[in-house]
Amino acid sequence: MASQLALKSRINSTTSLGKIFNAQEMIASSHIAKARNVALNAKPYTDAIFDAVQALAAHTHIDHPIMKTHDRGDGHARVAVLALTADRGMAGAYTSSIIRETEGLLAHLDSEGKDPQLYVYGRRGVSYYKYRNRDVAGTWDGDSDHPGVEVAESISSALMDAYMKPEDEHGVSELYVVFTEFVNMVVQKVRVLRMLPVELIRPAVDTSDGITMAELAEPDDADDPASEVSPLYSFEPSVDEVLDAILPKYIQSRIHECLLTAAASETASRQNAMHTATDNANNLIDSLTRELNASRQAAITQELTEIIGSADALNKEEE
Amino acid sequence: MADKKVLQVNMVAADHPVWSGTATSVTIPGTEGQMGILPDHEPLLSIIKGGTVSVVDPSGERHSFEVADGFISFDSNKLTIAVERGRDVVRTSGAD
Repeated sequence: MASQLALKSRINSTTSLGKIFNAQEMIASSHIAKARNVALNAKPYTDAIFDAVQALAAHTHIDHPIMKTHDRGDGHARVAVLALTADRGMAGAYTSSIIRETEGLLAHLDSEGKDPQLYVYGRRGVSYYKYRNRDVAGTWDGDSDHPGVEVAESISSALMDAYMKPEDEHGVSELYVVFTEFVNMVVQKVRVLRMLPVELIRPAVDTSDGITMAELAEPDDADDPASEVSPLYSFEPSVDEVLDAILPKYIQSRIHECLLTAAASETASRQNAMHTATDNANNLIDSLTRELNASRQAAITQELTEIIGSADALNKEEE
Repeated sequence: MADKKVLQVNMVAADHPVWSGTATSVTIPGTEGQMGILPDHEPLLSIIKGGTVSVVDPSGERHSFEVADGFISFDSNKLTIAVERGRDVVRTSGAD
């Protein structure tokens, strides 16, 4: 049995670790509210862009490189994979699940004959791939638990550059994002999203019921078969320029949205991990205290036995 | 004056909503110069560049906002101004 001194020092160190875990848990839970607020605050912008892109899709025939799969020969298409990981540890399996999913996706893309280029956000992920000497096309880190617009901007502009470049200059033809979706405080799910080329959920243009968005808004034009594009919207300065300006913003806001949900998930999974760690520390303290008590009792019993034994011996001598 | 036509304005920046409310006219910095928008404007989707957006509310008060580049969309009397960054700069009364 370990000495009482050793047990006491273990209990002390576990207690102080427990305090740290508890503090981390509190910090994480206070950050969740903030992360949620940030996500909610960014939502109107994302919605506005989404509505605008929907309007564009409904009223024009979008012919923009972002919207369609590049036909770039066969067999050797470069694709970009962006993995969103955490900057700091102590978040349970957060980063490792992302990395596992990313590895799976990379293997899958490889088996399809594509050439995946890896982009990583978050210090943990970056150091994972650095340590293994893997080729990483781009990395970003900092503020993974409260990512600002600037980070989203730099990530999306780098990825857009790679996407718009022709194949012979290392351009990519698709973009996948691996991030953690915030389902609720307890459940966070790793998801793989194909972000580029953009797939729009077009409003159902079903002429058989005679109800489309354009017709609802402006019934006069609906009967004109010559105009495939409903002249409902006017674009300033021109459709092409509006497309060129809005689609990159759309990508940026989607990436920002992913970053924000990833940040909320990171905080939540950190809170969960720290909660478990606090519980474990408390359990450990309990069992160590029990062991300490047992060892103290044993020592007392031994002392008593010794005293009684020696007293008995003295009494025997007197007799 | 009482039943003056108004439009709904909703101005959002990438990370927070900036302002929303009703207005009688809105001036935005379009790519080809300032553009004024009055109620019942035709549906419009336009790029804007950095500058000042000013909104006149029904009481005649003028609100000014400093914005970075973005775009506006106007449809069924609702104006959405989405900008990268935006903030409320000066709030001067239209009377003076």
